[in-house]
Amino acid sequence: MAREQRATGGGGGRAALLARTTLERLRSRAFLLVAIGLLLFYPSYVDSAQDLELMGEFFPSLNSMVIMIVFTMMAVGLNIVVGYAGLLDLGYVAFYAAGAYTAAWFASLQFEQVTFHFGAVGVSEDLPGIHISIWLVLLLAALFTTVVGIMIGLPTLRLRGDYLAIVTLGFGEIIPQFVRNGDSIAGFDLTHGTFGISPIDSPGFGSTLNDTFGLPESYRQATNAQELFFWTAVVLLLFTVFCSVRLRDSRLGRAWIAIREDETAAAAMGVPLMRTKTWAYALGAFFGGIAGAYYASFKSGAFPADFYFNISIFLLCMVILGGIGSVWGVIVGGMVLGWLNVEGLATIGSKVNEATGIDFEVPKYQFGIYGFIIVLMMLFRPVGLIPERRHQRELEEGVHDEPLYDATHEGN
Amino acid sequence: MRRRNAFWFLALLVAALAFTVAACGGDDDDDDGGGNGAAATGDVEPLPASSCQGLEYKGEGEPDVLIASDLPMQGSSRTQTVQMVQAIRFILDQREWKAGDHNIAFQVCDDATAQAAKWDSGKCSQNAQAYAANESVVGIIGTFNSGCAAIVIPVLNQAPNGGVAMVSPANTWPCLTVGAGCEKSEPDKYYPTGKRNYARVVPYDAFQAAIMADFMKEQGVKSLFVLNDKEAYGLAVATLTRNAAEANGIKIAGFTAWDPKAASYESLMRRVSQSGADALFLGGLIDENGAQLIKDKVAVLGPNDGKVKLFAPDGFTQQSTIDESGVENARGMYMSVAGVPVEKLTGEGKEFVTAFRKQLGGKPVDPYAAYGAQATSVLLDAIEASDGSRASVIENLFKVEVDNGILGTFSFNENGDVHQGKGVVIQYTMYVADKELEVEKELTPRQELAEASLGEN
Amino acid sequence: MLVGLIVVWLLVNFFKDPSEFAAVFLIGLTNGTVYGLVAIGYTLVYGILQLINFAHGDVFALSGLVSFTVLVDWLGVTPADSTAVAVGGILFTLVVVMAVFATVNVTIEFVAYRRLRHAPRLAALITAIGMSFIVQNVGLALYDVDFRSASGLIPRTNVFEIGDVSYTWNKFMVILITVPVLVLLTWFVASTRHGKAMRATAQDRDAAAMLGINVNRTISVTFALAGALAAVGGVLFLTQFNMRYDTGFELGLIAFTAAVLGGIGNLTGAVLGATLIGLIQAFNEGLAWHAPGSDWTRSIVFGILIAILVFRPEGLLGERTPEGA
Repeated sequence: MAREQRATGGGGGRAALLARTTLERLRSRAFLLVAIGLLLFYPSYVDSAQDLELMGEFFPSLNSMVIMIVFTMMAVGLNIVVGYAGLLDLGYVAFYAAGAYTAAWFASLQFEQVTFHFGAVGVSEDLPGIHISIWLVLLLAALFTTVVGIMIGLPTLRLRGDYLAIVTLGFGEIIPQFVRNGDSIAGFDLTHGTFGISPIDSPGFGSTLNDTFGLPESYRQATNAQELFFWTAVVLLLFTVFCSVRLRDSRLGRAWIAIREDETAAAAMGVPLMRTKTWAYALGAFFGGIAGAYYASFKSGAFPADFYFNISIFLLCMVILGGIGSVWGVIVGGMVLGWLNVEGLATIGSKVNEATGIDFEVPKYQFGIYGFIIVLMMLFRPVGLIPERRHQRELEEGVHDEPLYDATHEGN
Repeated sequence: MRRRNAFWFLALLVAALAFTVAACGGDDDDDDGGGNGAAATGDVEPLPASSCQGLEYKGEGEPDVLIASDLPMQGSSRTQTVQMVQAIRFILDQREWKAGDHNIAFQVCDDATAQAAKWDSGKCSQNAQAYAANESVVGIIGTFNSGCAAIVIPVLNQAPNGGVAMVSPANTWPCLTVGAGCEKSEPDKYYPTGKRNYARVVPYDAFQAAIMADFMKEQGVKSLFVLNDKEAYGLAVATLTRNAAEANGIKIAGFTAWDPKAASYESLMRRVSQSGADALFLGGLIDENGAQLIKDKVAVLGPNDGKVKLFAPDGFTQQSTIDESGVENARGMYMSVAGVPVEKLTGEGKEFVTAFRKQLGGKPVDPYAAYGAQATSVLLDAIEASDGSRASVIENLFKVEVDNGILGTFSFNENGDVHQGKGVVIQYTMYVADKELEVEKELTPRQELAEASLGEN
Repeated sequence: MLVGLIVVWLLVNFFKDPSEFAAVFLIGLTNGTVYGLVAIGYTLVYGILQLINFAHGDVFALSGLVSFTVLVDWLGVTPADSTAVAVGGILFTLVVVMAVFATVNVTIEFVAYRRLRHAPRLAALITAIGMSFIVQNVGLALYDVDFRSASGLIPRTNVFEIGDVSYTWNKFMVILITVPVLVLLTWFVASTRHGKAMRATAQDRDAAAMLGINVNRTISVTFALAGALAAVGGVLFLTQFNMRYDTGFELGLIAFTAAVLGGIGNLTGAVLGATLIGLIQAFNEGLAWHAPGSDWTRSIVFGILIAILVFRPEGLLGERTPEGA
């Protein structure tokens, strides 16, 4: 961020600028440390926090936190596509599905024709099916999803913004149907169709690492399973965020932003459009795959009914609320909306109903509420709660991709 | 700069607040349990508020064990599940929240999300892990949906201290307990420890398929077309019915899915008509656009008492089927359901329905309420006979014998299925639609046909 | 190659059972006509604003539900009434609901899209998605999750019958109402002042403004037209099928696909595309010989959408434009 600031800032004394950026960097570092600390120690104070009068109910349980973090990870992944590269993706749920089913294929009894074990924990050695350690499965899922991302991306990425959005939406609709009908692809049961695949193996480090380093053998059988799942989720989120920030500041990241701001100019300056866009797509998918696989392992199942269009919109809403392109914003947006989704709306709804005596099912209208958030943000604060400075300038100074009302298209 | 400062300040405030909470939280852990303060919770830790309502205990003294219901409390099954929860409370009241020496606390947990408007796999797993982690929990009443059970059972099976007992009032998918016609790894994959911890008071759908096939035969059906909604329940019941009908000498003219999101099914019905079938079976739920299906069936294939008869399983057996598709379209459609109409229950069942209806303020009793109540009393019997430990509750669950209970007389076999049943628990009722659902016939499934419906494996 | 295979498949099916083929064809044609009414709404707005108005499908669904209120709850028309009463009721409902939803659509544009006229195009698209959910939830709040329908008002007596193939009045009514509406629309766009202003604005907004065309009003007129057409679709849909708050999402996507297939921005194209989509759906579900079946309908429809956008973004009737390529 600071580097960009210097490169593009223009005007102002260099020294003053340096001082300002240093100060800001210090502040954001301190803030970051406090936030990470608060997050990591959440299990130790969640119980007491929940016992608080009035406020207690607003603290999510550990399990809810895992779900919130997983969806936030996906939002951070989506942010690479939508935020950095400016490609609107309405079918991100496809990557979530790809990740979840990778976990289901490589860590369950799905392919009972074969028996292959590699580092799996919590299952007996002679159990049929492919059982690979979840840590490797996460990697496999990330790679597989990346490939899916490239496959979807290559033919479609040369399309214009809104057409691309629709194509991704189409894939987001086709993939769940494919999964649902996938119990007989030329007679082969790939996805177990409607019934989904369950159970899926638990993460864990196995007995050797348990003996040597005291690392948990198998999460699901541990007494502090919730905490283990939580901490792992936090680590995965931090990894995602780290990569995301590094990517943004990399050469590739600057190429994305150049494309977002002005595709033609970027191409003229020698940015390879297709390759750069495909990378954005592939890397966005990468993190969706990890999140999807981890979530599948956490909930021990992958079902076709889990992957519907609304999830793509939900993730998009997280990005918009937080600030398109702003990693920290997306994390805040993701955690807030994630919380609303798993607990918040129900809690708020029951509080409101208690206070007013009416019977209004708040969670039922959750997508109306998200829609409302989207519209309000786009109208009144399109940069999001915590804007990315560069994007804010784009909007304020009128650097447009294409204006809404350009009339190069032949009407009727 | 100003805005930045405000933000910084806010962040600090949150941080400070959270640390204060953490610091002073440490020592008031035990003296302030239940939140609303209405119930004395004793040693029982409540389940997290993320999916469960507050802890309930209305007995004397303090509770020492906890049971929970795991049902979808949002979406289309809500009418049924709300009554099931009330029925559970009713049984607990009746037994003064006691089972033998144990005082029973109860919590209502929800496995649905508003977003999905039905059960959600993430929620099921989240709940299951919460039950497993809470050592006070000795038994679960649920789930409603078999798909959710497939997630919950293995987690509870591996739970510390010998696993958590689970009694379902509504799961009808065979593969949860039996292996015939299922994947090779089923049902064992749901019980990783190799010990069973799950029982159900409702017969699995192979029996419904069996009575359906017998009834079709009786109605002179020669050639049957089977549709399903591609959901877990619908596909399973459609497959079972196809197998049962085939075993009963009915030709299968076709087997395909309907898309619940489609606007019209007329072209699909043309296909049924081309197949020459003289009967159509709709394996699925009325909520999956079933009313449009019925209308288009009548529009293309004629009335249900005419050339092509129409049959549907319990996913359709409700008044809304008639209301949504119109009396003129629904008339003559046959729909089956497990058990008998609540007015026809006898003995303890009748007492339950009478008293429960009074508690509901005269509202009609949903048939599922009886199953909820029966599941509860089975679980309480198991706890009563146990020493209060999880392992002991499971052990005793399989020894429970119900003698003239709400659903009749039965015990469980080693799979956790109803065994040696007499009365309602093994009966089915066939309804025919007119302005309302009218009882056409009471049926008892034939064992060999039920087995045939599972298919070979 | 693929087209050839499809033609062969259709021909084999046709010769195996011509009357079934014809029956399925008629079903597809009727459904396609309803899609067409919705598809035109997408195309109109896209032509003038280059905006995929996501909320359009949901406006359509809401209009259908509201027309249930007008037709069944207020007017109390039931299948027992005579055909004349039913037709009168439906026409009255049409007028009321068209007026209401023209207003609703104009309001949506005024509130949600007008401010974003100079924002990046994706901003408006995202807002439209948000609006779509809001409209859907209004439907949910007003009508809950239950299905509504007013089918059976028009008798299922035959317009014509050839062998096994029959065409009933209740289906024919869809075409009877749609065709005049489309003729009116074509006349409006081609010959009236507003229509000309619309076309001018679509081609070049700045130039149109310079020539004294009130761009804001022209855009409002476009949205009013789109809303009224959605309402016609809603009423017709209600008299044929079941609908509820979320019907519009799926149908909106289908209609949008139809608009893209025909060439977005092109009115005739939208109707042609919608008819094709209706036929494809019906053939896929209704033909007996080697059809993929309803399991795959949605994949086929969206597959077409993707294929068209990738290989021929200007659609069947559209012309190649610089940005479309």
